[in-house]
Amino acid sequence: MREVYVAGIGITSFSRLEYPLVEIAAYPGLMALRDAGLKKVDHLYVANMGGGRINGQTGLASAVVDHMSLTPAGAETIENGPASGASAIKQGYMAIASGMHDVVMVIGAERMREANPLEATDFVATLTHPQAEYIYGVTLPALAGMFTRLYMEKYGVTARHLAMVAVKNHKNAMDNFYAHLHEDITIEGILDSPEASTNNPYVADPLRFYDVCPVSDGGACLILATAEVMKKINKPMIRLAGIGQATDTHCVHERKDPTELLAVREAARQSFKMAGVKPSDVSVAELHDAFTILEIAESEEVGFFKKGEGHLALERGETQIGGKIPINPSGGLKAKGHPVGATGVGQAHEIVLQLRGEAGKRQVKNAKVGFTCNFGGFGNNVVCLTFIKE
Amino acid sequence: MELNIYAYKCKRCGELHYPYKTICKKCGENDHNEFEIVPLPKNGKLLTFTTLYTLPSDYEVVTLALGIVELEDGNRITGQLDIKNPKIGMKVNGKVEVVRKDLYKKHLGMIFYKA
Ligand SMILES: [Zn+2]
Repeated sequence: MREVYVAGIGITSFSRLEYPLVEIAAYPGLMALRDAGLKKVDHLYVANMGGGRINGQTGLASAVVDHMSLTPAGAETIENGPASGASAIKQGYMAIASGMHDVVMVIGAERMREANPLEATDFVATLTHPQAEYIYGVTLPALAGMFTRLYMEKYGVTARHLAMVAVKNHKNAMDNFYAHLHEDITIEGILDSPEASTNNPYVADPLRFYDVCPVSDGGACLILATAEVMKKINKPMIRLAGIGQATDTHCVHERKDPTELLAVREAARQSFKMAGVKPSDVSVAELHDAFTILEIAESEEVGFFKKGEGHLALERGETQIGGKIPINPSGGLKAKGHPVGATGVGQAHEIVLQLRGEAGKRQVKNAKVGFTCNFGGFGNNVVCLTFIKE
Repeated sequence: MELNIYAYKCKRCGELHYPYKTICKKCGENDHNEFEIVPLPKNGKLLTFTTLYTLPSDYEVVTLALGIVELEDGNRITGQLDIKNPKIGMKVNGKVEVVRKDLYKKHLGMIFYKA
């Protein structure tokens, strides 16, 4: 297999975008081509979840390849729920590693704010089991609420720990121009003050408003290339060194211990093994904090901390920028935003910035190994990536 | 007639599946004739729960209580709760009732009450 590198990157703001889905995909693609100094690609993968349902547009990759005048390059749309982004990166990796293509553009794009909040919630809820979850009114926040309650009971995680994740990630997002939320929140404001119950009402108790990521539009792009191509362009050598993917039961109730995220554990293990590194070698990570509890749980499952101790590491400040293992310097899904199909590519975008040393005020010093965890459904399909700076 | 929620039991190894799977998760049996349909029990204890304040479409209520129940035979089910102050570990029993109404049909599912 051939080694695969990141030649170029691009991103849009994650917020409400008032232009068509195809352009939300094309602009980060254009930025990435310029970043890499390339004009052509052999193939295009576009990760997207809601085009058909929300925007009335199917076959998105075919539309994007034409919009960018990249025809006749091959193009495919990848739908793997909220893990679509990292799944598309995996496809790009395989296309290059196998020798089939030399330059592959991977885009993630989503435009969900066009739908009203009810439709958007329902759209994401279609990820749940149709007969055993969805018909009851189960949504992703509902599954996260039930998961959080168990986690609190078993490990002593409190509302304060959850708020600490939110405060940290909002703070990080203040230094990220492309983040959805630029709102410097405090524990006082969302938990302790008399206004807190109005500022921060329950969404799916014990989860409150500030425990849940916003609904975002947005796009991101990575151009992947061979070592040969990298020699011709003058970009830092960031290697996509490890990929892991695993699945778990569709229904959360079928998991032997529903506080365990076995797909996260397995995908991370595979990714680290392939890259030849250990969790303790990671300098910076982007974890899928669609709900604050997930940052804590994933930080344990991927191996940064022991099971049940993620919230203690958070208390000690180990996950802040400057800490032992900074998590979500971009602001994470919580504050950077969560345009579902684009999220996995957005996470990789941040890691490449960090490894290149181009992350500005939120730069993690001497970042050498970066890691992403892109969590589909309620952890039933997870893709983890490891990047190494050479 | 008493309504039930049905699980799928593998005749070869006895493994119970809820919801239905095409291949037995324990022994790999893949002939659908080798599965029998058995009603799930209705008594159990509450494993976890939430009250949802942002409801999906089709609901005309303000909040919806949902939970996962461990049934007396050890199987689990996700259902709605009609319980004032739910607590982890409390005993509950279920009834099969309408859990969602959309434009086309009424969907039946398990609603749990305090036992
Ligand atoms: Zn069997």
